[in-house]
Amino acid sequence: MTPFPWLPRRRLRAPLDPDLLQRRARLPAPAPFAAAPAARQRLVVLDLETSGLDLHRDQVLSIGAVAIEDGAVDFAQQFEATLRRDGQREPGASVLIHGLAPSALAAGVAPADGLLAFMEFLGDSPLLAFHAGFDRHMLARALKDSLDLRLAHPFLDVAELAPLLCPEAGLERGALDDWVARFGLQVQQRHHASADALVTGELALILFHRARRQGLDDLAGLADACARRRRRQQAPSF
Amino acid sequence: MDMRRQDDFAETGRQAVRQNIRGTMEFLQKFPPFNQMESAHLAFLVEHCVLRFYGAGDAILRPDSGPVEHFYIVKQGRVHGQRPHTARRGSETTFEITTGECFPLAALLGERATRTEHLAAEDTFCLLLDRSSFVRLFGLSPVFRDFALRGVSGLLDQVNQQVQARAAETLGAQYSLDTTLAELAVRAPVTCEPALPLRDAVRLMHDRQVGSVVVVDPTQRPLGIFTLHDLRRLVADPVTDPAVALTRPIAERMIPSPYALPPTASAFDAATAMTERHIAHVCLVQDERLLGVVSERDLFSLQRVDLVHLARTIRHAGRVETLAALRGDIRQLVDRMLAHGASSTQITHLITLLNDHTVCRVIELALEELGDPGLPFAWLSFGSEGRREQTLHTDQDNGLLFEAEGPVEAAEGRRRLLPLAERINQDLARCGFALCKGQIMAGNPQLCLSRQEWSRRFATFVREATPENLLGSSIFFDLRSIWGPPEGCEALRRQLLADVADNSAFQRLLAENALRQRPPVGRFRDFVVARKGAEKDTLDLKVQGLTPFVDGARLLALANGVDAVGTLERLRALVARDVIDEKDGAAYAEAYHFIQLIRMQQHQQQARQDLPYGNRLDPDSLNHLDRRILRESFRQAQRLQGSLALRYQL
Repeated sequence: MTPFPWLPRRRLRAPLDPDLLQRRARLPAPAPFAAAPAARQRLVVLDLETSGLDLHRDQVLSIGAVAIEDGAVDFAQQFEATLRRDGQREPGASVLIHGLAPSALAAGVAPADGLLAFMEFLGDSPLLAFHAGFDRHMLARALKDSLDLRLAHPFLDVAELAPLLCPEAGLERGALDDWVARFGLQVQQRHHASADALVTGELALILFHRARRQGLDDLAGLADACARRRRRQQAPSF
Repeated sequence: MDMRRQDDFAETGRQAVRQNIRGTMEFLQKFPPFNQMESAHLAFLVEHCVLRFYGAGDAILRPDSGPVEHFYIVKQGRVHGQRPHTARRGSETTFEITTGECFPLAALLGERATRTEHLAAEDTFCLLLDRSSFVRLFGLSPVFRDFALRGVSGLLDQVNQQVQARAAETLGAQYSLDTTLAELAVRAPVTCEPALPLRDAVRLMHDRQVGSVVVVDPTQRPLGIFTLHDLRRLVADPVTDPAVALTRPIAERMIPSPYALPPTASAFDAATAMTERHIAHVCLVQDERLLGVVSERDLFSLQRVDLVHLARTIRHAGRVETLAALRGDIRQLVDRMLAHGASSTQITHLITLLNDHTVCRVIELALEELGDPGLPFAWLSFGSEGRREQTLHTDQDNGLLFEAEGPVEAAEGRRRLLPLAERINQDLARCGFALCKGQIMAGNPQLCLSRQEWSRRFATFVREATPENLLGSSIFFDLRSIWGPPEGCEALRRQLLADVADNSAFQRLLAENALRQRPPVGRFRDFVVARKGAEKDTLDLKVQGLTPFVDGARLLALANGVDAVGTLERLRALVARDVIDEKDGAAYAEAYHFIQLIRMQQHQQQARQDLPYGNRLDPDSLNHLDRRILRESFRQAQRLQGSLALRYQL
């Protein structure tokens, strides 16, 4: 019995395997967004499938990622891991969202292994995601829980970037599906982490192209513009 | 690393591959050739791809961006091939590549830049496979390899385009002689009725800025044509009063029944007609209705040296020196023809046409100077000139035929004609037609013969198969009369066909002779080249490459009563008579074309560098694609020989 059952349950971390510790120690420090065209810096597009939308209680179930290098999605650099989660709270409810069968989850890799493999894949690259705030929070919590690792990589939110660069679309608060439809993109299997990461990557390529045509081809500048837009939207209106 | 974790990691990696790689493979499997490839090979392809985005209007590949580095598959969107516009400024779309299709195979295999700018016609995603992976896949997957090679076919279309483009680089014009006249004659024709006073017709031509007016009846049927040339002649005519003539109806001065071609005829057809008939305008007529007019200027507006003008200059040359000087113009014209996309057949045909004009003019000049011998004669051409397959590198193979009753009259005729024939041979030599080392020239008494003597001689060739006679038959049996009455020559050809068709022993000898020159391809090495001497590392395009086709086609034509003289015409006729399978015939023709094309390119290059003409080529001097096609062409020659060996049981 826990004394405060309404609090998120903090799972006790087993001591980390020395090999994992060594690998964790070798992870590179994150690089900031370069003040250079997007094609100059390796970027990683991330998509997570989680057990639900609760930032505090739900868990990362699978990680999908693709790398954008030299301005192109490189099919040789993709990442996908399903994390082994046997102690699921409500498998029945979440399966509707993430589409991961309990058997697939049970067959996944140990979360510490999967997350560390992802961090190795990530390297020092900045991250891109659709609704990046959510993915960032979920990933940071999973890393903290499983690897006692603080996530310091910068994120660029494609959901913010898209309306900023394509105001004519009239999709101020568009969902990924809206933008996918807008650009006629094909998704192999929606709500599959790596397929979503790929389509987010395609969206990012289109957006970087737009940015270049608008003379905004600078990642640091784009990140600032997103931050300004966010502040503008959060500022109280009179 | 402990084993379990390594396995986990490997598993993680494999899984990573699975979803997006599999998804992309599924997408590609909707399109050929990917739908026929083994999945391991397809997976290799997808795993080595990158995905790139191009906004509408972006250039994906450009002719000036160097050798092509990637194989492109359109994942989404459309790509247009853009070429500089033929005559006008700007560019035109030559092809469209859409989802599931790939490009640019020919450039990639040829290790060169693309000839065409590839533009994204709309927002487009392409999968890019790098060159080295492309090459590996080429080695791994037979399906992919076949597709890549077939994609380059008709191999020859691509090579022809490449040759044109290469020639066009130095000449700066793009224009195909295969263009139909309907495409060329874009302006409505200027017409008038027969009763219109000539003055009004000339004003009409002036107002509309055209060089001709076509006189038509109410149903638009062309009755005649009147051109600026005719006006000039009228004004210069000492007998006519132009002031009066201009008030009279145009019908009195027009040239009746103007030469006409259907709109589907090609620019080449029109150019040939103009050259042969000494006209500058061709009417386009369909169902007896005038659709347009194509002028010499429309055809060759971009050229400094034009065919029609050149032919006319040759026909009006007053001295042999002038004719000799015009040879350089012929070379320039050939350069242009290559640039304008003429095929090797068109070019050899045209060279022959201009050579015929030169020969005729040389004969006329010699007659003017030495006087008429008082005895009609025909000037015969043998060998490549007989077949209308002359290149710039040509020597004389000719003879003279006249009519005589009995040996005494024949000897007398020869006595009168020989000085003229010798003179013509010498003058032709001054014009650049090298004297024949084998003395196959009209000035040789043995080749200045009466019709009966020729006939006996040909019969001997067929009856007595000595090595000289066999060699002779390969030259003399391709004969054509280019000056004088043609009847004697036609009778000779008819006799020849009858003699050979009846004599299977002679056919067998010809077949043996046709197998003598082996195409220079080996079973293991790709080309067989000379091992030593001045000819080290080279092969002979004419003797080893073309001769097997020429000899084979001649034999089959003579044996099957085919009257045609050109190698390609012979092949066509043999296909029509089911002697040769249609596909084989097409393959032989393509191969022959290609070898001839390579040979002509080499001659043009030699001429530009002031080197003597030669037919020996170092295959290593060719690019990858040309090499491969040349090898295939030689293999076709081998196949033709194989079929002869089978047919005549050699």
